Amino acid sequence: MTLLVQQLVLGLLIGGVYVAVAIGFSLVWGVLNIVNLAHGGLVIIGAYLTWLLFSAFNVDPFLSIPIVAAALFVIGYVVQRLLINRVIRAPIFFTLLLTFGVNLVIINVLLLLFKSDFRSVTPSYSGSGLSLGGVQLPYIRVAGLAVALLLAGAVALFLARSRIGGAIQAVGADRDAAQLVGVDLRHVYALTFGIGAACAGVAGGLISTAQAITPSAGEPYTLQAFVVVILGGLGRVSATVVGGLLFGVVETLAQTMVPGLGAGWANAIAFAILVVVLAVRPRGLMGRPV
Amino acid sequence: MRARSVLSALVSLFALTVVACGGSAGSSGGSQTGQDLVIGVPMSITGVQAKEGGLAKQGYDLWLDWINAQGGVNANGTKHKVVLKYEDDQSKPDISAQLTTKLITQDKAQLLLGPYGSATTASDAVVAEKNGIPMVEANGAAQAIFNNGYKYTFGVLSPANKYLEGVIDMAATLNPKPSTMAMLSADDSFSLEVAKAAQEYATSKGFNVVYTDRYPNGSTNLSGLVANAKAKNPDMVLNSGHLAEAVAINKAAKDLRLEAKLYAYSVGPSTPDFVNSLGPDSHYVYGGSQWTPQVKYKPSFYLSVPDYVAAYKKKYATSDDPDYHVAESTAACLALQKAIENAGSVKPDKVRDALASLDVITFFGRIKFDSRGINTYKPMVVEQIQTDGKHHTVFPPDVADAKPQYPTPAWSSR
Repeated sequence: MTLLVQQLVLGLLIGGVYVAVAIGFSLVWGVLNIVNLAHGGLVIIGAYLTWLLFSAFNVDPFLSIPIVAAALFVIGYVVQRLLINRVIRAPIFFTLLLTFGVNLVIINVLLLLFKSDFRSVTPSYSGSGLSLGGVQLPYIRVAGLAVALLLAGAVALFLARSRIGGAIQAVGADRDAAQLVGVDLRHVYALTFGIGAACAGVAGGLISTAQAITPSAGEPYTLQAFVVVILGGLGRVSATVVGGLLFGVVETLAQTMVPGLGAGWANAIAFAILVVVLAVRPRGLMGRPV
Repeated sequence: MRARSVLSALVSLFALTVVACGGSAGSSGGSQTGQDLVIGVPMSITGVQAKEGGLAKQGYDLWLDWINAQGGVNANGTKHKVVLKYEDDQSKPDISAQLTTKLITQDKAQLLLGPYGSATTASDAVVAEKNGIPMVEANGAAQAIFNNGYKYTFGVLSPANKYLEGVIDMAATLNPKPSTMAMLSADDSFSLEVAKAAQEYATSKGFNVVYTDRYPNGSTNLSGLVANAKAKNPDMVLNSGHLAEAVAINKAAKDLRLEAKLYAYSVGPSTPDFVNSLGPDSHYVYGGSQWTPQVKYKPSFYLSVPDYVAAYKKKYATSDDPDYHVAESTAACLALQKAIENAGSVKPDKVRDALASLDVITFFGRIKFDSRGINTYKPMVVEQIQTDGKHHTVFPPDVADAKPQYPTPAWSSR
């Protein structure tokens, strides 16, 4: 019983990371209609920035989150304005191709800068935690989940309450109509991509404390973000939160609770659930009707 | 036709003269100088294994400089200067096999040194066998290479099934003796081979394997499996996988307060990345290694261990110690050298027979091949990252430079 609770907790904690990764991905997909294959690359840039600040200036990984997010926002804004904007109305194949290329550039630049050595952020409190009746709650992971949920709340609030958020939602709903009422499309696109990149940076900061990173370590996260967004449904932050936490729990339980099969089946089971969800609710668990 | 035969006659006459002159010049100096000995080397100069390939090449080149400074390799009084003919196989097995064929047929390589990695070594072994050219390899540890009955391929390194045996042998000598073991493994064939052998060996030594599981290669979220292992309360936690997974397991073990007396990972702890990633949390962790710069073997020829380390640092102008990839590659050269000296000949078949009966101690340890051609006589050494943050060789005791720091203290009291 303790073990089951522990596994559930671990699933929720890793789910928090998936939420953080998927928020930006979902926003860009929903508003720009771009499946951003460079998202994992942006996540790893965030992880390297966190590592750099930690190892060179001893900045706590959680304190560096705003700095990393701001840096990634600038990168995202510029990349969108200069590159992605050129294919914004092109068929999906071109946007996939371009973002795939951007991802390769990111990986190779990181390789040049940092080589393929493994890095990780290990602050002094890493690994300490709370023990509740035999169930371990590692502080750093709990804080990671909290950051992910705060990030989700902040993005949701920003979209719902602020003027720019309203413009972003308007563009997501109907870009031509939004342009007619005076929204500067290029600026909104770039802003949205920048916010998406900033969210990726936050996720990268969390990931740098949880695992060893290399320049190509972001690739699985692009796939996971994709799955989370489809599972939860496109167009709502709350859907991404539900999708991410659910995916984390399902993955962890599948990995550990099916005796004899081994963790190799975890992905198969998680994706099988994805297929079932798509068959029963094609727009995802909480997707808006189109 | 006629013109051609005249030409070839002239050429042979010229060649004879040259050989005669060379011979007389050599005999005046005591030992003779024979033809250059061409050794073919397919190598990962580029491609995914370029980094490791570069290390292997360093090991080969280190010996090349040394042997040619001695005037070459001595076959029955005749010294042959050595030429290493490299070809870049791009880390790809099919290209490696093609280039091995080219090295033998076009470049007339009489002997071969192995490429980097099990996959390329396996494909080159086929070519060596077909052409009857002996290949000594240092960078392919999968037993699959040696289970095909090949007669011309020899591996100087300990095979995959030995990777964690040293750790288990060491565990049996510790006090209080651990009794239970959890074994995690990545799902690639090399890691599974290591894990299976470790499990069987542990059982045969009286340890109780209480938990085993495998995970997809490259997994970074292993907390769930570590929680499962913790529920069995094992004395020893062993992992057979790669660096990223070893880091993930160690982090999860601390997160979840899995308190084992001993943590050992097949790959990872020997690299600086492991210590850099984990900081003090890397302390007390054990790993298997083919060789360490601290081992205390007494070599019968070539350099002693400290001299080897010094020669490496001088040639490559570095303060880093040579990696075990470098050392094992140099060891492959030494096996070839000794076999040529024992055979008194550089003829492929003679060298092959001498390799089959070789038994020497080098700075890398004992080199002796079993009937399959792999060096099962050299033990893997066990390294531990101790509380000074440095790697120490802790087992076997006769080559160790420190005692194991055991048992690993609880996470909270570190």
